[in-house]
Amino acid sequence: MAKDTDKIAEAILSSGAGSCVECGRCVAVCPMAEMYSNFSIEMSPRGVIKKALTGNAIITDENIWYCTECNAGTDVCPQGVSCRDLIRALREIAIEEKMVEGLKQCSRCGRRFLPIPAKNFVFERLREEPTNVLNTLELCPSCRREIYMLRNT
Amino acid sequence: MDTVMYEQTNEQDNRITLEDLRPRPEKKKTFSEHFMPRLHPGILFDPRKCTGCGTCEMVCSSRNISRVAPASASIQVIRDENRIKNFAILCQHCRAPLCVEACPTRAIEKGEDGIVRINKLFCVSCGLCTMACPEAAPLQDPTTGEINKCDMCEGDPQCVKYCPSGALTLTGGKRFRWIKGLRWSVQTLSFLLMAVILIGTFCSLKAGALSFSCPTGVLQNIASSGTVVLVWVFSTFILLGLTLLAGRFFCGWICPFGFFLDLVDKITPKKVGLPSFLKSRMAKYGILAGAVGGSCAFGSQVFCPICPIGSICRSYGTTGTLNGANMGIVAALAGLEVTERRVWCRYFCPVGAVLALCAKVGLIKIVIGANQCKKFSCIQCAEVCPMGIIDADKLREGVSPDIPMTECITCMRCIDRCPYGAAKIRFRWQKTVPGNIEL
Repeated sequence: MAKDTDKIAEAILSSGAGSCVECGRCVAVCPMAEMYSNFSIEMSPRGVIKKALTGNAIITDENIWYCTECNAGTDVCPQGVSCRDLIRALREIAIEEKMVEGLKQCSRCGRRFLPIPAKNFVFERLREEPTNVLNTLELCPSCRREIYMLRNT
Repeated sequence: MDTVMYEQTNEQDNRITLEDLRPRPEKKKTFSEHFMPRLHPGILFDPRKCTGCGTCEMVCSSRNISRVAPASASIQVIRDENRIKNFAILCQHCRAPLCVEACPTRAIEKGEDGIVRINKLFCVSCGLCTMACPEAAPLQDPTTGEINKCDMCEGDPQCVKYCPSGALTLTGGKRFRWIKGLRWSVQTLSFLLMAVILIGTFCSLKAGALSFSCPTGVLQNIASSGTVVLVWVFSTFILLGLTLLAGRFFCGWICPFGFFLDLVDKITPKKVGLPSFLKSRMAKYGILAGAVGGSCAFGSQVFCPICPIGSICRSYGTTGTLNGANMGIVAALAGLEVTERRVWCRYFCPVGAVLALCAKVGLIKIVIGANQCKKFSCIQCAEVCPMGIIDADKLREGVSPDIPMTECITCMRCIDRCPYGAAKIRFRWQKTVPGNIEL
């Protein structure tokens, strides 16, 4: 467990999360508020940063798997905290600890490419599309390109 | 330590969403667009000509992100070294783009000119548009995570301009406008000739030494009388011979009842679903066999009295009388149009069944999607096909559909509508469509 804490400390250091002043600008621009109906302060970048700074249960927290890794929070942060880098680093640690259920696997090549909540959001938005389109979306982008090429050359 | 950090209020109903802030603009069709849908520009890619040089990637990135970085370009060339094939993936500017639907900040919009653009003001580079694209067109820069989408260089695509082998072409879309006009005038003329002007009906016509008969009627005649009269047989040859050459063109271009159904289609809404047990395209062969067998049993033509093609010809008498029973048949079968287009022709018509058997061994075929077809981004051919034989699901999967010539009525609506010239008439033996690949 001590090893984890070191890694989290390193992630906080490299992303600059230690200098967070809790202004909440990242929450104001976060697209997750539009995407998830259960958007809460724990899920928001500020909540994740605070939890990473104060507690060590952040790795097992499911809230780190909602982020779409966009750049909006980093753009507006007055302290230059990159919440995207923090989330990425936390996810890397979680995957090393064999807690990978948060990412969608490609049904063809097995690559993990998208957080499951984000995938659910995309499928919810496209629910009126026919099933064969949605089957295509189960694949990772490079497999989609490959399949499209195989079908057309 | 799993404590709730802040008190959470459950006021889901009072949340302001993007729908309140920036509602989607309502799409309104102008009056002229109902008759002539607007054509949008598109970049076509021909994989046979592509050499995989990657010039398109370089010029694309140098224009859009001001540095030569092929991996970050909005067009990506994939090279299959084993099969020696190259393929370019680029945004097709779909008619109904999925990325627009999936974008959480509503930053992507399809402009009036058909080009799908990203509004940088709202884009947060989350990359969900990449996940929604069925073809995975390059939208996100893999090195920086920024979203850079093809915007067709505002009408002057650099990839097309600099492609050394001419594999990429810019097209404004085209349309064979004359086919539509020609078909409607031929249909009107033949309707007037058969139903109004000529004294005889379609079932049996005589023009000088030439005689012309309905092949289904002749089959029933032979079955009921038990004798083969050569004049009857020869009189069907005109229609059957032309069907061998041109498919079931009779159904699409000549048939008066088909013309009537086309007119009815213009005004009927498609609201009701046809029960699935009626939806068998083999039913028409059953009705044909039943008509011939019944004629043999009863000694008279059993189908012809209720045939809608005959009925529409007989409903207007030569003396100026209107025939109520015949008009009733026509009206009842035209009423089926509330379910699908040309229901009678699709599933039940025994005249069409004879022609379908003939067209099965005919000379021509309709091909959708040689290398110009834009597949899932277009699907206009499947929408206009009155027989519903163009498989929209196949197109959505990015595969060129096979078109059964037994069902095709050669109305050429698909050829007329396809903006990229991908729907074509070809000889049966010409190989045009690449094979299907399963997932």
